[in-house]
Amino acid sequence: MQVDFDYIVVGSGATGAIAARTLVEAGCKVAVLDAGVEDEQYKSIIPNKDFISIRKEDQQQHTYFLGNKFEGIPWQTTKVGSQLTPPRNFLTELTEKLIPFESETFKPMESLAKGGLGGGWGCGCYLFSKPELDAIGLDESVMRKSYEAVAEHIGISGAKDDGAPYCLGELQNILPPPKLENNLKNIFDAYAKKKNKLNKKGVYVGRSALALLTENKNDRSAVKYKDMDFWSDKDKSAYRSWMTIDELKNKSNFTYHKNCLVLKFKETESGIEVYVKRIDTNEEKIFTCKKLILSPGVLGTARIVIRSFDYVQEQLPVICNPYSYIPCLQWKMLGKETEQYKTSFSQLVMYIDENKSNYDVAMAALFSYRSLLLFKLIKESPLNFADGRILMQYLQSSFTIAGIHHPEKPGPSKFIRMKKDVHSFTNDILTGQYILSDQEEEINKQRENKIKSTLRTLGCFPLKTIHTPHGGSIHYAGTLPFDKSNKPFTLLPNGKLAGTQNVFVADGSGFKYLPAKGLTLTLMANAHFVANNAMINE
Amino acid sequence: MQKGNSIYAEEAERIADYLIGVAPGERELNIYSEAMQILNIQFTKYEQELWKSMLKSKWRMACIDGGLALKEPNNNARRKLFCMLSILETSPAYIDYFLSKSFSSFYFFKLMWTATRAVCRGLTGLFLIKLIKIKCK
Ligand SMILES: Cc1cc2nc3c(=O)[nH]c(=O)nc-3n(C[C@H](O)[C@H](O)[C@H](O)COP(=O)(O)OP(=O)(O)OC[C@H]3O[C@@H](n4cnc5c(N)ncnc54)[C@H](O)[C@@H]3O)c2cc1C
Repeated sequence: MQVDFDYIVVGSGATGAIAARTLVEAGCKVAVLDAGVEDEQYKSIIPNKDFISIRKEDQQQHTYFLGNKFEGIPWQTTKVGSQLTPPRNFLTELTEKLIPFESETFKPMESLAKGGLGGGWGCGCYLFSKPELDAIGLDESVMRKSYEAVAEHIGISGAKDDGAPYCLGELQNILPPPKLENNLKNIFDAYAKKKNKLNKKGVYVGRSALALLTENKNDRSAVKYKDMDFWSDKDKSAYRSWMTIDELKNKSNFTYHKNCLVLKFKETESGIEVYVKRIDTNEEKIFTCKKLILSPGVLGTARIVIRSFDYVQEQLPVICNPYSYIPCLQWKMLGKETEQYKTSFSQLVMYIDENKSNYDVAMAALFSYRSLLLFKLIKESPLNFADGRILMQYLQSSFTIAGIHHPEKPGPSKFIRMKKDVHSFTNDILTGQYILSDQEEEINKQRENKIKSTLRTLGCFPLKTIHTPHGGSIHYAGTLPFDKSNKPFTLLPNGKLAGTQNVFVADGSGFKYLPAKGLTLTLMANAHFVANNAMINE
Repeated sequence: MQKGNSIYAEEAERIADYLIGVAPGERELNIYSEAMQILNIQFTKYEQELWKSMLKSKWRMACIDGGLALKEPNNNARRKLFCMLSILETSPAYIDYFLSKSFSSFYFFKLMWTATRAVCRGLTGLFLIKLIKIKCK
């Protein structure tokens, strides 16, 4: 059989884009098959100005702030993805229809977009420590090189402060951090004063490392502090995976195929057949390649793998960081002016590392609230809207929100299961369950209490703790855990899918543990590593 | 669309008056009317009664809104208010009602007064809602 491509990469998210780039740079003939939904409505109508100027001047701002169909006015916010702004809604478009997920206890967010969830990610980058990588099943020495390669490509800014061991590690070539807004500067100053006492308790605070440029790089500009980060990517300062795909499109050994939903694969003697259903025409098609790299996100990979092995195993484990957030009032900021020019990406991160081992660290990202608009905050208060508006107007500058991620391990009540369903686009549907043990709940509660007490020490008064449903952290892993024994439904340490000759998985499916810190930089580094392994194997 | 032509013009004016104490411009009336047509908010009999009562006066609107915020924050009767709130916030004409306020004379007094008023309105609202519930039975 004459195959169409050397490599097919499924998905154009954070992992697919990096895997494809690694292969293309090495000279291989690569195709990315992707559902590839794009924003057709908003990109062109958002002015290239800062948030405050837009608010003061643009008569048409409601079209993108509230959405053409007023989808940006959330009411019952149980729907997955309802936290996204209208210009980011395309990230989850068509998922309910094409890749439905049903569960009472697990509400994951998935993407069929060009660039995947990375089209809206917060750009928080964290290098995992050796104990964390060991627990995941990754080798530290090889990952260091991959981290460097990815950082070089996407551009990472950060500061060598107390947070650096938890996010930057030994990473070289770091760009200077973006400026910190007053709200967070106050907290950082308070930390500097109480640092010794807090460090003794295992509490460290530092600037977040970000995939955000503070110096120009090729066609991407340094951050311009327009505070439109949730709405537009005009300056390309924040790294988005679609930028890599667009860059690759200029290479002759690369092709990008959108509207392709990959259903399953079949290994034959002469190569791999990849079965695709087009989402625009429903037409079914087969692509062929020598090697296949799956990176459609952890749940997407699970669907494809379960189908490809004829549903012999329908249930797989899954892990997802529990996430809660705490709105706080920072007394010192009461009545203070907020600056016109800032970036919402620039955050402080609090790490709770009680054992001082850089393992099982809990994390709270601290950020302020403005460009997501006041009306959404007013709705969260238990007050009538008119008085709520006045109060929020007075208190807005002093709001600090702490977003808490907990580290996470697999458990007996954390799984996904595929069911046949003739009514669905793919004739099946993914379901799942996610329940923490009482002991896990208790540990997380204790961590939250510690974070709340530290927040008070830093001058932030916690108002309430809001626990999001499981899945809300948007960090998923562990469906095909790394295992050296070639057991079915696991990955070998080099990323190869057990029971196959030439199928590799480049997303987080193999990760056996999730540190609280954001996983995406490690996902990308692993994708780079897996793509290299796929080539060595040749 | 001409001001006043829309079937939603009257409620839009009342809501804007309640929320920020001004009459909305033609732009906001048109956007509100478009939002109502697209969102097509449906009321149950109980919500309909709440809404009728809210339209009677600004005071009632504030109290019932406050009571619902405490007990039934996702009641559809509040949804219309919420839509108008978002429309006003994204209107250049009313930006000063939504940008953060810096220190001024009586800052803390205004803060405390608004909070106290909001609590009183919420409690009165709970009582009014109970009466409406009884009426609906
Ligand atoms: C609002 C938000 C903020 C976030 N902030 C952070 C942060 O600050 N730090 C951090 O570390 N992480 C963050 N994340 C998480 C991060 O975005 C994800 O971890 C990351 O994008 C996952 O990448 P992925 O490549 O594994 O999958 P995805 O991004 O989900 O990409 C999947 C790709 O596969 C394609 N696809 C799916 N199924 C198929 C199929 N069957 N056939 C063909 N194509 C398919 C999709 O079109 C898509 O291109 C955030 C996420 C969101 C939504």
